[in-house]
Amino acid sequence: MTAPPDAAPSDIAPPDLLPTLEHRLLAIPGDKFLEVVRLLERVRDHPDVQQTFASIRPRLVQMRPERRPTLKRVLCMPFEDVLESFGGADVPLGRIERRAIDPMWGIIEDCADRHALDQLDRQVQGVAPGDHNGMLNIGRRLWPLAAQTLRSVMESDGSRHVLWRRLHGDEGLRRQVIDAAVFLDIGLSIEALKSDLSPKPLPELEDRHVAVIEQAAQAVARQNVAAVYSLLLVAAARLAAPADLLRVLNDLDLGKARRDQPVIFAQLSGLVVSNLEERTARLEPKAGTPSTAVASPEAAMALAERLIASVTTTNAVMDLLNEPIYRERLEAVKTAVGAMVTGAVLDTASDGILSAIPLPKPGAAPVVDEAAQAAAEDHARALRRCEGLADTLGLRHAVSDTLKRMGQGVSVRAQALLKDYPQMAGDADAAESAELTLFYALRLLELVAGPAKADPLRLAILSAIGESPDEG
Amino acid sequence: MLKGAIEYAPSTFEERGAAVAFTTPLLSQTRVRRGERSKLEVLIPSLSEGMGTYVVAWKSVPEMVSMTMHDRYLHDLIVKEEACSPQEIRRATLKAARRGLAGPQAAQAARRALEEDEEQGTLTHYLLLLAILKAVGLESPEMLKAGIGTEEGQRLTRQLMARAADSLKLEANLLYARLAEIAAAVAPVGLTQSPKPGRLLRGMQELKAFRQSMTSWSNEVPSDAAPVAAFCADVAQHTIGIGEKLLTDFQRRVDAIGPLMRAWETEFVVIRSHAQRMAWLLDGWSHVTAAWDVAQTEDRHQQAATINDLFRVIPLLPKKESRQDMLGAAKRIKPVHRRSVRMLEDWRTGEMDMDSIRRIELVKARAP
Repeated sequence: MTAPPDAAPSDIAPPDLLPTLEHRLLAIPGDKFLEVVRLLERVRDHPDVQQTFASIRPRLVQMRPERRPTLKRVLCMPFEDVLESFGGADVPLGRIERRAIDPMWGIIEDCADRHALDQLDRQVQGVAPGDHNGMLNIGRRLWPLAAQTLRSVMESDGSRHVLWRRLHGDEGLRRQVIDAAVFLDIGLSIEALKSDLSPKPLPELEDRHVAVIEQAAQAVARQNVAAVYSLLLVAAARLAAPADLLRVLNDLDLGKARRDQPVIFAQLSGLVVSNLEERTARLEPKAGTPSTAVASPEAAMALAERLIASVTTTNAVMDLLNEPIYRERLEAVKTAVGAMVTGAVLDTASDGILSAIPLPKPGAAPVVDEAAQAAAEDHARALRRCEGLADTLGLRHAVSDTLKRMGQGVSVRAQALLKDYPQMAGDADAAESAELTLFYALRLLELVAGPAKADPLRLAILSAIGESPDEG
Repeated sequence: MLKGAIEYAPSTFEERGAAVAFTTPLLSQTRVRRGERSKLEVLIPSLSEGMGTYVVAWKSVPEMVSMTMHDRYLHDLIVKEEACSPQEIRRATLKAARRGLAGPQAAQAARRALEEDEEQGTLTHYLLLLAILKAVGLESPEMLKAGIGTEEGQRLTRQLMARAADSLKLEANLLYARLAEIAAAVAPVGLTQSPKPGRLLRGMQELKAFRQSMTSWSNEVPSDAAPVAAFCADVAQHTIGIGEKLLTDFQRRVDAIGPLMRAWETEFVVIRSHAQRMAWLLDGWSHVTAAWDVAQTEDRHQQAATINDLFRVIPLLPKKESRQDMLGAAKRIKPVHRRSVRMLEDWRTGEMDMDSIRRIELVKARAP
């Protein structure tokens, strides 16, 4: 689907066709996808187009095309780091749900100074996609206006009808709108901090990062002591391991918010622990789904490592401050992570690894399935990664037992293939398939048992195929 | 067995050795060369401070380092084939990868590379044949129309080639033999008129993109690795400069196919030597550019780690090939270069670092 850059909105696919095109948008090449997104942006207010955006959102998140700036998009900038993510098991700290954005924007449209909003809307239309400074300039005026509007509507009895129409008495939404107003109050400070803590996620919290967080917190504290917590939430959300902020929090000089430091620490640590609990709760299989919520053994291990790193940091901070109240909760998180690893990596190892090695069939060359081999290798690597967490998760015995079983299983299957190999020797194609299968089995043995244990099989294969290494 | 760390300042490409795409992190891109009494030896960059390099007898490597199954197979193959030029090492590397020992993706990439080599060889041969006919004024629309794959096309080709041989005062068989020799020498670079560049020409294009990307990274990213990235861009730029000059002369000589046939004894030697020099010049760069490609999807922290890894294996030009003192420049950058933690972990513990091996295998799947 291509269209000239200056095509009028009516030139692109009619909106009523869009729902049927959605699945194709997930499959077309990246450059085409970005072009279609750019064209759809021009008619984004159409309900079908909005529906299309909703269904292609996972790919939008993945490809991050430059979107056309709108006032609603500028409004979200200060709290975008705490917006809930799409799918997945990770949850940002102190999150604001995406469903809160439309009602929040509705309140602002209903109650803010119409003239000022219209003026800003005209300005934002002149900002090019990707022009961050242009959006900041709009934000500079929009955020205080929006914060003031939201706060006065929340506090005024006369605005009850607006609140009811927009929030339908939803207490969760109400709380999030109040939270968002605080982020908007300190929008400029947040944007400056985001720029210093980029790109997200920061793999390590370095001294220079700690220094900018401290300076930003002091500046915000001069403006509004209560907003320091929101600023720190953004800082934590930009870290690969948000718990790292806890480690340094008590050494920060928060300026005017110094007195509130213990409260902020307690709030933030409570939130980190709740966040870990919530993330692990998402790991449990949902009713009606076959097994765990993670996509693959590799994904399970990556998630387990992130969660356990956060638990370890949090535990260390709590121990240092003699805060035993969270210990049990963190232990529960570890247990849940252990269960996830057991379900996604250990229990499925036989199916995931051994089944990739074909069993010999009389008179037929083994079939090489490279997709199955790649998946088996990923599983084997995930299993080896388990070793690093085994003690923490109380899985030492289970992991070593599984590795041993996999090593034996791969060896048995490889020996069966090796025994069968001479029957293939007369047919070049069959021999090539058989040799590839043998080498793939060798590779799996190397992955689960290490090169020293795999080497005898290598020598046996080379001897069988007539490629023994030179002696001496 | 181990001669101790030496200052590594090779004079020639042969002395620098050819890079071997091992998957064991400690051995990745180490260089093999023919040492004293023509015995193969391997050059392992030192992991301690300084620019030292260990020279190890090739056969002793498995006793020193715990190698992956892939590397043990490749090591045996290199011993058996006495391989030590970039072309020979590449052949051995593709054979090892095709066995599947660096994973299915690398096996598929090796199969594709071998198919491409074959296609490129056939295409180059065919285009050279047309060039010879054109050079002696025997262009034949009938032959092109019939196609070289048909019986009629082949009959016409044989006829025309016999006349071309007459015109060049050569035996037809000798003309065919020379054609095959030029095709074999030229195919890795490719012909100017070829619709698809040869792999070495593609390597030059990838090197230019790498130079550009390294320069941008060093300018835009506030990192300790920025000066290292700038240094990598400099080395790439210098290599490109020499490569472009070489390529211009190479293409000029190959394009003049009539004079080449007439002054065969002197001209062909130069062409073959130019093609070999191109291979030496770009040796080791495909790993560097592919590793940087893999790092493009990662965060800047990981990219900085990749740059530090690449500094260890970046193909510095030998003294006789370049007026610039590359080693001196590398020494100046040394104080800001952070030795990769990934490498150190591997070295200290002797354990196989599965993540590092996986990264190397992913690079191999891009640049087999």
